[in-house]
Amino acid sequence: MLDWIKNINKEYPEFWKDYLTKLEAKPNKFVVLSTETSGLNPNKDVILSLGAFAVIDDSIVIKENFEAVLLQYKFLEENGISNEFIIESKMNKMPEAEALEAFINFIGNAVLVGHHINFDIEMLNAALERLDCGRLKNEALDIDVMYRKLTDINDKQFSLNDLCEIYKIPKSDRNSSAEDAYKIGLLFLKLKSRLGIK
Amino acid sequence: MNTIAEHIADFLKEYPPFDNLTFQELSDIATNIRVINLEKHAVLFQNNDPLHDSFYVVASGIINLTTIADAEETIINKCHEGDIFGLRPFFAKNNYMMTAKAREESIVYAIPIAVFRPFVANNSDVLNFLLESFAMNSRHTKDNARSNGKLDTNGTYIDQQSEMQYIQSLAYNNSPLTTESQHIIKDVAILMTESMVDNIIVCEKNHPIGIVTHADLSSKIATGRYPITETIDKIMSSPVVTVLENVSLAEAQLLMLKHNVSHLCVTKDGTSKSSVKGIISEHDLIVAQASNPGVLIKEIKRSQLPKDLKQIRDRLSDLIQNSIQKNIPISHVSNIASEINLAIIKRAVELSILDLGSPPARFAWLSIGSQGRKEQLLLTDQDSILVFEDVAPEKYREVKDYFLRLAKRATAILEKVGYDYCPNGHMGSNMLWCKSLSDWTKQYNSWMNTPGENSNDLSSIFFDYEIVIGEPKIEEVIENVVFKNAVNNTLFFDFLGNDALRRNSPLSFFKKFIIEEEGPQKGKFDIKTRALMPLIDSARLLILSANIKGIKNTYLRFKQLAITDSKNAEIYLSCAEAFLTLSKFRTVEGLKNDDSGQYINLREMSKTDKEKLKNALSPMKDLEELIKSKFQLTQFS
Repeated sequence: MLDWIKNINKEYPEFWKDYLTKLEAKPNKFVVLSTETSGLNPNKDVILSLGAFAVIDDSIVIKENFEAVLLQYKFLEENGISNEFIIESKMNKMPEAEALEAFINFIGNAVLVGHHINFDIEMLNAALERLDCGRLKNEALDIDVMYRKLTDINDKQFSLNDLCEIYKIPKSDRNSSAEDAYKIGLLFLKLKSRLGIK
Repeated sequence: MNTIAEHIADFLKEYPPFDNLTFQELSDIATNIRVINLEKHAVLFQNNDPLHDSFYVVASGIINLTTIADAEETIINKCHEGDIFGLRPFFAKNNYMMTAKAREESIVYAIPIAVFRPFVANNSDVLNFLLESFAMNSRHTKDNARSNGKLDTNGTYIDQQSEMQYIQSLAYNNSPLTTESQHIIKDVAILMTESMVDNIIVCEKNHPIGIVTHADLSSKIATGRYPITETIDKIMSSPVVTVLENVSLAEAQLLMLKHNVSHLCVTKDGTSKSSVKGIISEHDLIVAQASNPGVLIKEIKRSQLPKDLKQIRDRLSDLIQNSIQKNIPISHVSNIASEINLAIIKRAVELSILDLGSPPARFAWLSIGSQGRKEQLLLTDQDSILVFEDVAPEKYREVKDYFLRLAKRATAILEKVGYDYCPNGHMGSNMLWCKSLSDWTKQYNSWMNTPGENSNDLSSIFFDYEIVIGEPKIEEVIENVVFKNAVNNTLFFDFLGNDALRRNSPLSFFKKFIIEEEGPQKGKFDIKTRALMPLIDSARLLILSANIKGIKNTYLRFKQLAITDSKNAEIYLSCAEAFLTLSKFRTVEGLKNDDSGQYINLREMSKTDKEKLKNALSPMKDLEELIKSKFQLTQFS
């Protein structure tokens, strides 16, 4: 709550200043994103990979995407986890700082869309704090909330798989944050038109 | 690195024309794709919209391509997963000529033309595929290219029809005859005769300056006003009325009336100062008015190849679909459809006779089953028998051999047209069902008098027959045999009655639909076996036992029964109505899925439709009771 006090007179990294100026304009696109994390605690766990796509004019623009594996050697070592997963991935590998900078540049002032996005944002905020940045300020939409609003269900949460099943989005055997981001994107397009969101 | 682009590339490489490209090329293309979700009934582009910068591939769902002619929406094509559409921006500069609309919720990939164009330029297979698809999406034009240069009025006017109706602004593929003003009348007339056309355009530097038609020849040559050695410009009508290539049917009609001419010349810019692209004759306009059944039958009669027949059969599907959309009574539609089916089957047999030479004996080709009852609306499998007159024993083998060959040929043609072979082999090409009249008489006698003994080859469809081609007397003989045997034949009716009632009831005790519990059709309602067949079987049984000849159609049979057996009239009349309603449901479902419509997907049905369907099933219970009491079914139950 007193975050803003912490930030007074603080010298931010260049990319974050850029980001803040971008936010002054009105958003003209959405970015669907998904994170893969080592666990559920924003303070202890870290982001292992990031996937995101831009949604412009009611379509997913495949070219405007962001995919990265975040190298977290320190975290892995401390927790005695092997880094097999990272070695096998064909995705871009970047250290956390570099990846976050690129990601922040990618999202700009877009409206963020995710599945249980509060958690993704908390994870991103925790990582940003390590880089001496402030918290994300983008507007955000959660497809689970959108679905529950559409169907007027208030007592239940829906997993990404539940939603994919409901809207008949084919499952893929490959699972990655990019894959999830794409599915979230398709669900978002469907929910968006049903809810009449511009 | 873009994983999703690779997945999309994986998807694309399964489908032409993308299968001609390397994975790397496909990944590059996929990277530039936009993914679009279309809700049910959402319109991606519509007639007269400016062209998009992309064409489209269906990733999931179904997209209908439709055109609007005379304020009616006509479906030209359904695009399923992997199909490409919206190719117009590749080939034309003007606006879209059709509407793309999602039949169900669909996802499509938009591939930017600018990205794809280099691959088209470098790969002729890709280009050819796109050209063909473009033509297919606009229907029938593919064959235009084939008949191009043949200048056969018979062949080309089929295509012009659809061109006029659907893709009016496309280049006319018909290449009209042209000549120059200094040519001699006689030579021109010879050219016209050889090409079998009634008109020729007189050009100067490829610009039309006049036209010579049969009317000119008869009024100016046959009357002796000009000798045939004159130059053609002396007798041509000039100037010629020219139009733009995307002239509409209505406009063309008005122009002909206004200028009192029978031909319009299509030119590049619509004036006589540009090059000739085609010719529209009055005849084309008449044909273009509608896919009218008379025209279809005429075309069937002059078809030479199975694929001509196939094209006509496709148009029959359109005709049926349009008639149903326009709410034309299903009994009329099925009458028309079975006439056309009959003409197609007849033509198939005729073509086989043309190949094999004249038959060595008189014969009759009978359609049996649904076509025999004149109830065939969808493309179903073929059922037929062949009966030939008795011949001297030493000639029997040779004659039977001829008819077997004839039937094999004819059924093969029909298979090419789109009627599948009967899975039970109920066809004239089968040794068993191609035999002499006396053998057939024996066959019917044994079926009807000892029905239990060889019951496995007795199928009730043999009792619905209609002559397609051949000697009508033969059909009469068969009919007499059947009715003579039917008189007081309790055993036979017992058999048929049990056969009719054997089918499972359509509704459960609690008036719920009984649906398929397993197999590929799980969850669907089998309208054919559970609803239509019991009505068809019962009608046949009742009409045979009432000894009423000549009524083949289930609907008419019930109508007739209501007259003959007036105390049960109400049941019969409601069965007649029910039969029509159920046939309509089946036809609509079949047209929707391009199949026989046997299984209905109840989940896709509206509540009112479900109620309608349920109501149509209600008379069946009464009918069942009626048959049980009438025939006191015992022997086989």
